[in-house]
Amino acid sequence: MANQGGAQRPNGPQSKICQFKLVLLGESAVGKSSLVLRFVKGQFHEYQESTIGAAFLTQTVCLDDTTVKFEIWDTAGQERYHSLAPMYYRGAQAAIVVYDITNQDTFGRAKTWVRELQRQASPNIVIALAGNKADLANKRMVEYEEAQAYAEENSLLFMETSAKTAMNVNDIFLAIAKKLPKNEQAGQQQSRQRGVDLSQENQPSGGCCK
Amino acid sequence: MASIGDAELGVSTFCAASHQSEKCGANGLPLTPNSIRILGRFPVLKTLSHPRLCKYVDLVREKHERLIVVTEFYKTNLAAALRTSKYSDTSCLTTLAFEILSGLAYLNSRGFIHRNLSPQNILFDTKGFVKLANYGMYYMTDSGADVSFPIGLLKYMSPEVLAQGRVRVTSIDREYATGWKETRQLSHAPSSCKTDVWSLGIMLLEAFLGSPLWPNLTLQQIIHKILAFAKSKVDPIVLILSDHHGEEKFALLPNEIQSLISTCLTLSPKQRPMPIDLLSSSVFNALKSKEIPYSNGFSMFSTNLRCQDLEIPEYVEGTEEDHAKEEDLLSERSIHEVYYLWRLAGGDLVGALTKAGLVRTRPPITKIANFTLDDGEFFGEGRDRSTLLDCTVVILSQDQLRQRLKHVEPAAFYPLLEEEKNTALHLPISPSSGDLTDTSKLPLVIKERDVEYQFHRAILYERLLKAYPYKRHHIWKEARTDIPPFVRAEIWAALLEVEGDIQGTYDAIDKETPTATDRQIEVDIPRCHQYCELLSSPEGHEKFKRVLKAWVVSHPEYVYWQGLDSLCAPFLYLNFNNEALAYACFKAFIPKYLHKLFLKDNSKVIQEYLAVFSHLIAFHDAPLSNHLNTIGFIPDLYAIPWFLTMFAHAFPLHKLFHLWDTLLLGNSSFPLCIGVAILYQLRDQLLSFGFNECILLFSDMPEIDIERCVQDSIRIFCLTPKSATYRQHAKPSKREQKDSSSKPDVSYYSKDYNHQPLTDLSMHPVPLEDLRAQKCPFISAEDLIQLGELMGSSLTKSPTKKSASGKPLIIILDIRPTEDYLRGCVPGSINIPFDTAFNSDGDFLPSPAVTKLNVHKTQVKVVVGSRDRSAIKFAESLLRLGYNRACVLYKGVDVLRPTGILTVPTPDL
Ligand SMILES: Nc1nc2c(ncn2[C@@H]2O[C@H](COP(=O)(O)OP(=O)(O)OP(=O)(O)O)[C@@H](O)[C@H]2O)c(=O)[nH]1
Ligand SMILES: [Mg+2]
Repeated sequence: MANQGGAQRPNGPQSKICQFKLVLLGESAVGKSSLVLRFVKGQFHEYQESTIGAAFLTQTVCLDDTTVKFEIWDTAGQERYHSLAPMYYRGAQAAIVVYDITNQDTFGRAKTWVRELQRQASPNIVIALAGNKADLANKRMVEYEEAQAYAEENSLLFMETSAKTAMNVNDIFLAIAKKLPKNEQAGQQQSRQRGVDLSQENQPSGGCCK
Repeated sequence: MASIGDAELGVSTFCAASHQSEKCGANGLPLTPNSIRILGRFPVLKTLSHPRLCKYVDLVREKHERLIVVTEFYKTNLAAALRTSKYSDTSCLTTLAFEILSGLAYLNSRGFIHRNLSPQNILFDTKGFVKLANYGMYYMTDSGADVSFPIGLLKYMSPEVLAQGRVRVTSIDREYATGWKETRQLSHAPSSCKTDVWSLGIMLLEAFLGSPLWPNLTLQQIIHKILAFAKSKVDPIVLILSDHHGEEKFALLPNEIQSLISTCLTLSPKQRPMPIDLLSSSVFNALKSKEIPYSNGFSMFSTNLRCQDLEIPEYVEGTEEDHAKEEDLLSERSIHEVYYLWRLAGGDLVGALTKAGLVRTRPPITKIANFTLDDGEFFGEGRDRSTLLDCTVVILSQDQLRQRLKHVEPAAFYPLLEEEKNTALHLPISPSSGDLTDTSKLPLVIKERDVEYQFHRAILYERLLKAYPYKRHHIWKEARTDIPPFVRAEIWAALLEVEGDIQGTYDAIDKETPTATDRQIEVDIPRCHQYCELLSSPEGHEKFKRVLKAWVVSHPEYVYWQGLDSLCAPFLYLNFNNEALAYACFKAFIPKYLHKLFLKDNSKVIQEYLAVFSHLIAFHDAPLSNHLNTIGFIPDLYAIPWFLTMFAHAFPLHKLFHLWDTLLLGNSSFPLCIGVAILYQLRDQLLSFGFNECILLFSDMPEIDIERCVQDSIRIFCLTPKSATYRQHAKPSKREQKDSSSKPDVSYYSKDYNHQPLTDLSMHPVPLEDLRAQKCPFISAEDLIQLGELMGSSLTKSPTKKSASGKPLIIILDIRPTEDYLRGCVPGSINIPFDTAFNSDGDFLPSPAVTKLNVHKTQVKVVVGSRDRSAIKFAESLLRLGYNRACVLYKGVDVLRPTGILTVPTPDL
């Protein structure tokens, strides 16, 4: 099960290149970092370290004639780090909101994230919902249908994934890549500016737990 | 700590039962290997210390679930003595029973049972006293569940133990809801201390009869015999005696001894007495009166009276010859220390075992299965002989160690501590020997492997620790040279000024009641430094959770932030056997370096911290700072985990230890310097990288040479004016220091800025927005006066500044219009009026003052202006032009007016 993951590398020299900023959100320990690690390096660490603040990685996928480069911001899941989150999702073109299918609370928290993104992130952000740890189907607490219905209502991409077995991991990133607008000004310029928007305005001031 | 005396270091090995390959727990992750479980349980055994027990020294985990145990060992044991007629003498027999029972009673008092008693496990030291061995096996293997062989020799097992059969794990549950805690159900309840009493009874009978019981029976027959006791109406003792025609001989024994043996062999565990009950029997009265009360000697941070059980070593009046005979001073060191040195002297455990034929490797091809299911289960593999138990103990030769320490002067074993006066000027002199000074300058990795150096250091520190807190001062001084791994736990505690009833404090905290943070703690622990075997063991997880919960519960003003786990890990690792001390250190560390950072709303504190960090980068490395600012690679994106965990989330433990060895000597601003030192080490890469590459570099902390990093941080710290790292959220000064005499001689190096008295000339809180907006640090008038020696060094207020050596040199730039400057300025300052300083490209217009500035380019540049922002802008121009070490006089020149320092400049400039 090791090392089979990773995504395709860019090949054609003539292909056009788009960069997108993608952010991962979700309750602590649902497997955000594990999904990114699987996607980017094709690995899975059972003792994946918890994330403090945020971590940054990049990965490139090929779609027909386009090369899509993801700049991935993997955020800390603990509620307290919430106040940092806007710094990472502001300006993001895509978000994966992750929950753990063996834990109902994490699904609730995912819904909160979706609502916040819909309110505060860029209006045309592509949001995907990932029900992770699908390998633990026998401990399932969140039904596939329930999550799917919710995703449809909110027009989110939805997949159940497993960072451990690599199931649907590349697929969810690819699905996002497909859905992102790839006209010239969409990808290229916009994300060329910089990784993170740190402007102080409309950043929630003070409290970390809202 | 009792000394090793003439004990040997013995090593033996066994293998833990391996899990079916690929088998997973309920959370889909692999089960904890049994060897790790055992490893986590082992450390507490090292704390068992009693004259009738062989000490446990170390447990090492090797490949293929193999574990290697190092213990105190003696060559003679009861199995050999049984064959003599020694124990037909009743006093010998009583002594034997008494000594075994004393050992057992101690074990019971600490919550352990032996469950592995047999004549092979009863050793005799060179004076002939009983030393129980192998008493840890049953405990560390979870009643035998973690190994595939039975614990104990069948013949000595009590009927109730045999009747239960093999202990196994019947179910494992790793519940998500409660984190990754593994709960295991064993097939039956563990044995009680009374099973040991039965084994004792059998051994006493054998000893008294002078021959083994049932010598001609097969194992099955013996099991059958013992189980048959349960069905018989006759007492076991009667049956056994009749089997061996011993009734008449037994009848000759004094009644008390007869009844001692027969009560040991009481069939029902309910009625069978406990070791402590038997000890009160009158047979032992004579022996008890002779017994010397045993105390475990000195231990740090205990509330016991230190001199209550003062152990005064026996004074042996010897003849001339005796004195001439070389004393074995090494044997007066503790067994743990001798073992530590033994390993440094090249001791090789696996080598010793392999030589004795105890570790054999099989060619991998012989391990291929015949038949495999697609879930990974396989069949047809022959049983690996190496998983069976071989009780052989190999003695570790101490020759090599003694050879290495041969020329150590006897006096070096007792270093004098009061020689400080002549050495006060130089730090790295250890009183023990001169040439140590040379070694002390070598790289840490070399020093830590140098057996002789470590020997001297460990001995010196142990002496100092015995005099803690009185010798705190001296400990600080020595710690600036280095901290030997052997005593690191205690030294850290001393540096953190841990004192008092730490156990009582810890015990009084409720660590069990569920709280809202439990889930977060429980999902974080199994992800925290788990490459470390101890911390990844279930025992480790439990301790981890308790210490973290204890902290959260006792600090209602703070909350649990992810990252606290990383911060706790080094303390837990170092004090695995002393949770209370781990907690006390953890608790003391946080206010010292992370004051207010775990507030529920810590954003102001973090923001200020990071802003000051940015200033510090700009101050020390203008080109790097300019580059990072241009690409937008700001500390908020990478440095939060550094500072929130004091780098514990960024580095593995072995590196962190070296980093914190120095950090603990520094003040609360020192971590900022470490941050700059890390950037500095990666400088070339960072300068050539764009935003993405920079941030990728830090998402996996790159290889950092810690020793270089430490040296760089110290250098950076010494070149930074104290007030430049002023933070309003840093810990406020504790003005009334308890008593300054016991306080370490804190120099410029370790004193906090905030610990100095506040005056008009000091720094005062700067609004966060201003702090974030400006790129260069402020420096206080105090610092300016001191660094510029404007009042003569004796007049300055800072009590800490004595030698000028570590002090940064400064150049003062007065940027006010020349007419203001001429009316009064800081002596020695040069005037570069802001309005006319730069050309339209932002470069300096040439002038004699600028030339002078360029001559002193490396010095700290203090920009002095009026109250407006021009001084800040000027400093930022310096930064932009690539000048390092630019800072701004806080509140401008006006603040200096009341001091009377300002003078009218002499016209030569
Ligand atoms: N069985 C299983 N375990 C998983 C899977 N993905 C992650 N895990 C485990 O879940 C735990 C948490 O994973 P992380 O990737 O650290 O979770 P996170 O969402 O990044 O957590 P934070 O950094 O605290 O926000 C780790 O022990 C992983 O090994 C999965 O697909 N299946
Ligand atoms: Mg994570």
